[in-house]
Amino acid sequence: MPSRLVTTVKGRKRAAVSLAAVAAVLLAGGLWAAQASGGTPNGETYVDGNPSAVLYDTGHRALVPDFSGTTLAGVPLRLATYRGTVVVLNFWGSWCAPCRSEGETLAALSGRYAHAGVSFIGVDENDTPTNAEAFEQGFGIKYPSLNDPSASIAQAVSSAVLISSPPTTLVIDRTGHVAGAIFGTATYSVLNTMISKAMTGKAGA
Amino acid sequence: MTELHASQEAVPDSTVPGSTVPCSTVPCSTVADSAPAEEKATSTFPEDGPGGRAALSAKVPAPQTNWDPADPGGRPPQTPPVNFGWGRWAWRQLTSMRTALVLLFLLALGSIPGSLLPQQGQDPAAVQNYFTSHPALAPWLNHLGLFNVFAAPWFAAIYLLLFASLVGCVVPRTFRLAGAARTPPPRAPRNLGRLPHSASYHSALAADEAVAIAAAALGGKRFRLRRPAEGDKTYWVSAEKGYLREAGNLLFHLALLGVLVSIAIGGLFGYKANKLMIEGGSFSNTVSALDEFHPGRLVTGSDLAPFSITLKGFSANYYTSGESRGQPSSFDARISYSSSPGAPAKPYDLRINQPLNVDSLKVYLIGHGYAPEFTVTDQSGKVVYDEATPFIPANTGTFESDGVVKVPDASPTQLGFIGVFVPTAVSVNGVLESAFPAPELPAVSLLGYEGNLGINSGIPQSVYQLDTTAMTQVTAKPFLLQPGQSFTLPGGRGKITFTGYKQWVSLAITYDPGQVPALVCGILALAGLLLSFLVRRRRVFVRAAGTEEGSVVTVGGLARTDAGGGFEDEFAELVAQLRAAHNEGHSVGPTEQQSEA
Repeated sequence: MPSRLVTTVKGRKRAAVSLAAVAAVLLAGGLWAAQASGGTPNGETYVDGNPSAVLYDTGHRALVPDFSGTTLAGVPLRLATYRGTVVVLNFWGSWCAPCRSEGETLAALSGRYAHAGVSFIGVDENDTPTNAEAFEQGFGIKYPSLNDPSASIAQAVSSAVLISSPPTTLVIDRTGHVAGAIFGTATYSVLNTMISKAMTGKAGA
Repeated sequence: MTELHASQEAVPDSTVPGSTVPCSTVPCSTVADSAPAEEKATSTFPEDGPGGRAALSAKVPAPQTNWDPADPGGRPPQTPPVNFGWGRWAWRQLTSMRTALVLLFLLALGSIPGSLLPQQGQDPAAVQNYFTSHPALAPWLNHLGLFNVFAAPWFAAIYLLLFASLVGCVVPRTFRLAGAARTPPPRAPRNLGRLPHSASYHSALAADEAVAIAAAALGGKRFRLRRPAEGDKTYWVSAEKGYLREAGNLLFHLALLGVLVSIAIGGLFGYKANKLMIEGGSFSNTVSALDEFHPGRLVTGSDLAPFSITLKGFSANYYTSGESRGQPSSFDARISYSSSPGAPAKPYDLRINQPLNVDSLKVYLIGHGYAPEFTVTDQSGKVVYDEATPFIPANTGTFESDGVVKVPDASPTQLGFIGVFVPTAVSVNGVLESAFPAPELPAVSLLGYEGNLGINSGIPQSVYQLDTTAMTQVTAKPFLLQPGQSFTLPGGRGKITFTGYKQWVSLAITYDPGQVPALVCGILALAGLLLSFLVRRRRVFVRAAGTEEGSVVTVGGLARTDAGGGFEDEFAELVAQLRAAHNEGHSVGPTEQQSEA
């Protein structure tokens, strides 16, 4: 083909177009990296620089959808009845190793804030009541836990904050919005900080 | 600028007055401005080391800023092709057919371990098993990513390169084909007798009239025509047909790109998940409930469809006689599902190759096994464990299954059991084995431990393995239990009861938004390929030369690709029709000839 020389400019144009196409593909593929390494979006701060412990500023707090269920003790419980108090919502399972390592923290903090207008609610996932009650007795946990073997509450709450594998702990302010979330094991100091921050926020903020 | 002046002083005998940069010091950047020279430069670049050109242009810091607009060459300055040659060479190599084939081969080769070895994404239990049965080899294979081949970096490297190669190959081809589909037919050759098919005859019509009639006849047959330019004194018409071939080829290439894009969409927006369910249990499609969740790059856990599934029951049937005794004849998982919270639950029979379609995703039944139920009381007599515990089949022929029971809330110390479940217990030389996969005579054999399970440290551990490093064995020998039987641990440490068994199924949940587009594009690609194979591109030329009695008409024909043959007949018919049109009301001249070259 003698046209090779003649079509150089055209060929260059084509090369540019195909380069652009590949660039677009690589860009699309590269998006995940940006997503994975993305910093804190507006309104979020990390407690002690820990990316799995997030505080949300007022105005950036998601409303937790109401849910109800039956506790391990067989008592009905509805989240909406807790409006006006700060709620610590802990997703757990007796089989889950990180949940076992935060058991003492939760028992201690629930005792500390028992008369300070802070309610602790557990959501026991993928578990049996016998095993769960043995766990609660072992760690001295007195607050109620909902029996949710199918994780339907986690599914509902995920519309506000993604509830991953247990443990996940949410601190819900007096208006029912998520003030803080711990994705993974809760430590005493981090959860304590979150509860204090949620308590200082005015109702209706 | 000072450097430039210095270089100018260094070459005082510059022969180009007014030009700030003498051409001799920049041999490449200016010479390469003309197309043939550049062509040469690019074709000979391998000898031209990667640094060579850069070093040359480096002599002049910014050659283009010194380009003189008054230069008689009159060409705008171009970025010197610094290192561009290597890039272009690499690009050409990558987009070559050979590379694409090698990458395709590598992709196939890389998939082999994915089908030979158990995969984390499909059957985590089998991977677990492999680790137990090959303790030395498994960690090495794991390092190479062979238990999760399709997520391994080296696999990603292959398919990304293949993707780039295909895109880089197909996009330019698409442009070429689009051009080819638009090109008008060429001018009629001077001597039509040299074409593979030709015929000539006399007509009483004048040459221009004859050509006009031929053009009208060919146009009526949906040929694309080309006539002489204005002022041309020759009489001819070129006609071409079969552009659908190019259109088909174009469709094939575009559809191929569509397939690639669909696959990318599936990879970015799709997800896969696994869930083990015990009879009577239910789960909601949320990250918290799933055993494994492999999201696409642009999927987050909040994108999951909010359905839920309850496993009512599971049954497997096995052949009880003949050669395939013990082989499964059918599986049936009876489930009920609701597509969203609050939606009515619908029943469904989940079987192998009969997945559940819900919310545009699919739920497959991929495995099953037994979950013996135990209750454990600790030293104080309190029931601290009551659960159906999934055991993993170690032998898929007999469903002899392995598992562990962890009792983390037993006091004063944690308890653990390593167990073997057999659906049909037989004793072979005193060793417990399973004779049949169906639960004819279920039994478990357990070995008891006490101590620290290591679970309270917070480090996640496998539910199918017991870490006995901080535990001591409390039963000298394994003890055998049948449903309803209990075993009291020595020293009043507690009691374990084998209350019965349930069956479990493992489900694979897949969402692939690229599946339907990929199918559509695949069909379109096939259609395009068929078009390009079946449609012939053929040209017909008609020339007329004036004579005293009228004109001599010559018809030439050329099938550019004689796929399937048959152009001869079409050509002969065409010639006959043209002749008839040219000789309406006139007698056919005696001198006629038709040739086949």
